[in-house]
Amino acid sequence: MIELKDLSYVRFGTSNLEDAESFATKCLGLQVGEQSGKAVYLRSDDRAHTLCYFEGSPADQVVGFEVEDEIELNAAAATLDHLGHPVHAGTNTECGLRKVKAFIGFKDPTGNQIELVVRPERSGKRYFASRDAGITGFSHVGLSTTDPVRDERFWTQVCNARVSDRIGDVALMRVNAIHHTIALAPGPGPGVHHVNHQVESNDDVLRSFYHLSGQRVPIVFGPGRHPTSGARFLYFRGPDGMVFEYSVGVDAIEDEETHRPRSFGFEPSSLCMWGSKRNW
Amino acid sequence: MTSMNASAAPARCPLIQLCYVRLAVQTPQPAAAFATDVLGLQHVPSDLEPFLYRSDQRYYTLCFTTDADRPSIGIEISDDRGLDRIAETAIGDGFRAREATRNECAQRVVRRAIIVEDASGNEIDLVLRPALSGRRYFPSRDAGVTGLQSVGVRSRAMKDDLKLWTAILGAKVTDRVGEITYLGIDKMHHRVVLHPSDKAGIVYVSFGVESLDALMQNNYFVEERQIKVLHGPGREPASGQMFVRFAGPEGYVFSYGYGLACVDSDHRPRQFTLEASSLCEWGSQCVDIAELQPTPAS
Repeated sequence: MIELKDLSYVRFGTSNLEDAESFATKCLGLQVGEQSGKAVYLRSDDRAHTLCYFEGSPADQVVGFEVEDEIELNAAAATLDHLGHPVHAGTNTECGLRKVKAFIGFKDPTGNQIELVVRPERSGKRYFASRDAGITGFSHVGLSTTDPVRDERFWTQVCNARVSDRIGDVALMRVNAIHHTIALAPGPGPGVHHVNHQVESNDDVLRSFYHLSGQRVPIVFGPGRHPTSGARFLYFRGPDGMVFEYSVGVDAIEDEETHRPRSFGFEPSSLCMWGSKRNW
Repeated sequence: MTSMNASAAPARCPLIQLCYVRLAVQTPQPAAAFATDVLGLQHVPSDLEPFLYRSDQRYYTLCFTTDADRPSIGIEISDDRGLDRIAETAIGDGFRAREATRNECAQRVVRRAIIVEDASGNEIDLVLRPALSGRRYFPSRDAGVTGLQSVGVRSRAMKDDLKLWTAILGAKVTDRVGEITYLGIDKMHHRVVLHPSDKAGIVYVSFGVESLDALMQNNYFVEERQIKVLHGPGREPASGQMFVRFAGPEGYVFSYGYGLACVDSDHRPRQFTLEASSLCEWGSQCVDIAELQPTPAS
């Protein structure tokens, strides 16, 4: 079984690096960690980067997960290879671009580009936000799925993810105590559905609602509250149509042994208990 | 001796609580439907006043009446002596005050009342022994209302109105935003807020709700019914209260609030700058109510 320890980063190709950086700093509020002409590395916590925009196709979207060490990484490569997922071992240059010691790349059953990484870099300098959005860190991703039942099987049986709750057939899965690190989202093809950053307080969610509305950033869902994780949230659209989320108050799964996933109906009140309507 | 001791001790506020708001309306039926279907309050059957509504354990806290030319608010006074003393001082200082008739008291469901007019022309009912109800509050919808919480009052004579509220009635100024003045009468940050204006009247009537969830659910509830949200969802930095203010019948504004802070007995009034962020720290702005805009009153 592939032991995912934590979510590490997302990498997005973009046709307009300048716009992407401007959104990431002025709207999202992340800190530029490093910038080359071809890529910008953005920080959201004490890691060296958690979001990277690079010159390329916006369809090129990658999610990185950390595994324990190179032994685990090699075992994971063997497992994936055995299951028929083509595995790419990262070159030194590619590792440098990701600020990791080693990584492998593969596609999940839907075709999402996933990377497993070893020793992602942290930064000695503390995170200093470019605007007061109250971000405490990169926390989870929504992954598109063309078959939620099949993909749940992949993430929970090939990897170590556990289902925390389901909305209809769609699973919210954790790899540690946080309610979910991977949220599956039905869609026509592969891609990152949304990128979540945690913020300090409910006040931050509402402040950003007004701040981003004032910046004419399209708010696509919320302010609202998920009945599943208990988190108060705000979803908004960034460059190349990517949706970002701020949330606060995600439940922790206290008792790993006894937690049983709850089933919520596939209906709007299962996504927002306050009554906000999703429009994306 | 007793009176000397009383004057030496810190004056205990003779105001007990904000009891009710009576709103004068032309056509009560739409207002009645609003009270139950939107606000979610419980209707109280009564022959004297057909449009009484409960929000908590009290007999009623909201009344729509066709029998008045302006709104009034009810404040409970501790006892007869306190009431007589306040009436005497108010009249001495040039305020109009009169004893309510037996019928007026029955309409208000109180034992005795003195109806005072502030310098702006707002009516304040100072009442004794307002009625409670033995039956628990049973709302008409799940709005999470916990009770009448506060009221915003317009003032076109801030100095004199403040004198009535503080020097005569004994309310405490807890904070100010520009000249907007929060007044406390119990341990909560405020029960009455005086807003400089060019007219008299009520700015809003606020009902407390049990949680942020209830507040936001109500926000989407009114929005879905095409009721105009006039301010919020927002949060007052002075009181900590999160709020949603929305349009009610006949120009009245109602509000749900959650998180109103308590103040310590040693709290000193703070002065906030007159700007939007002093009225809402989240960034909501109010465009339809002059008294909730951060512009100096004319």
